[in-house]
Amino acid sequence: MNEREKMLRQLSAVGFSAHDLQMYLDTHPNDTSAAKALEEYEREEGRLREEYEQRFGPLTAGCEGSRWAWIADPWPWNNGRD
Amino acid sequence: MFVYEKKLQYPVNIRRPNPALAKIIMSQYGGPDGELGASLRYLSQRYTAPYPEIKAVLTDIGTEELGHLEMVGTILYQLTKGVSAKELKEAGLDQYFVDHTAGIYPAAASGTPYTAAALQVKGDLLADLHEDLAAEQKARVTYDNILRFCDDPDVIDPIRFLREREIVHYQRFGEALRVATDKLDSRNFYAFNPEFDPPKARSN
Repeated sequence: MNEREKMLRQLSAVGFSAHDLQMYLDTHPNDTSAAKALEEYEREEGRLREEYEQRFGPLTAGCEGSRWAWIADPWPWNNGRD
Repeated sequence: MFVYEKKLQYPVNIRRPNPALAKIIMSQYGGPDGELGASLRYLSQRYTAPYPEIKAVLTDIGTEELGHLEMVGTILYQLTKGVSAKELKEAGLDQYFVDHTAGIYPAAASGTPYTAAALQVKGDLLADLHEDLAAEQKARVTYDNILRFCDDPDVIDPIRFLREREIVHYQRFGEALRVATDKLDSRNFYAFNPEFDPPKARSN
């Protein structure tokens, strides 16, 4: 696993925790401890996302000055065999 | 609206092609209990959903299913990448090859092209939520059946993740059903359809 993959995995793990908690809160909106945990995961995800995008390129289209980095390989379905 | 993120929900990195496995996993791309159908089912049911919690659950799960569709597409692509026409034929994919070469096309394992006939939008809260609970269980069984044929840890790992998500979604839909019945007429859940009957027509 290269540096990019390692960082992406870390970002995805934190992002997944946030996503799963957010969905839990859809049906448990009064659960304040889950809401607090969600805030912490979101903060951590934001930090990791910023660092990832600075080093390896944008995760969403339309970031300023990133049109070449946006189209660049690898796309998510590509792996070392492409 | 939707915004694309240039990453998978969970990593997929398959090092060894295996077209025979692709032939069965294909069903979770375009089959009757697959991710495309799941996504369309929830994202279509939500328009007439009556309560905020239900709209949120249908939107969030329907969106996650699109991410799963991308994961399954990635698995199929990596399982068939670099495979010759002869090897595809040996795996039983010669008919698929004639129509799609090595492209990723939404069809069931049986070869039937994707059809919305396998999903329902009934426009009735209780009927739709029960359909959704059943859909998650059927997708879970499909992944269990797929796992019976998998011996490559590179494939087993993301398939297990997808299977687990079916169980979590089932849990969320169960809670959505509880939210729904809490808001209905406790003496008769079928007294009115909150997706259709105007409030003044309701008995309480």
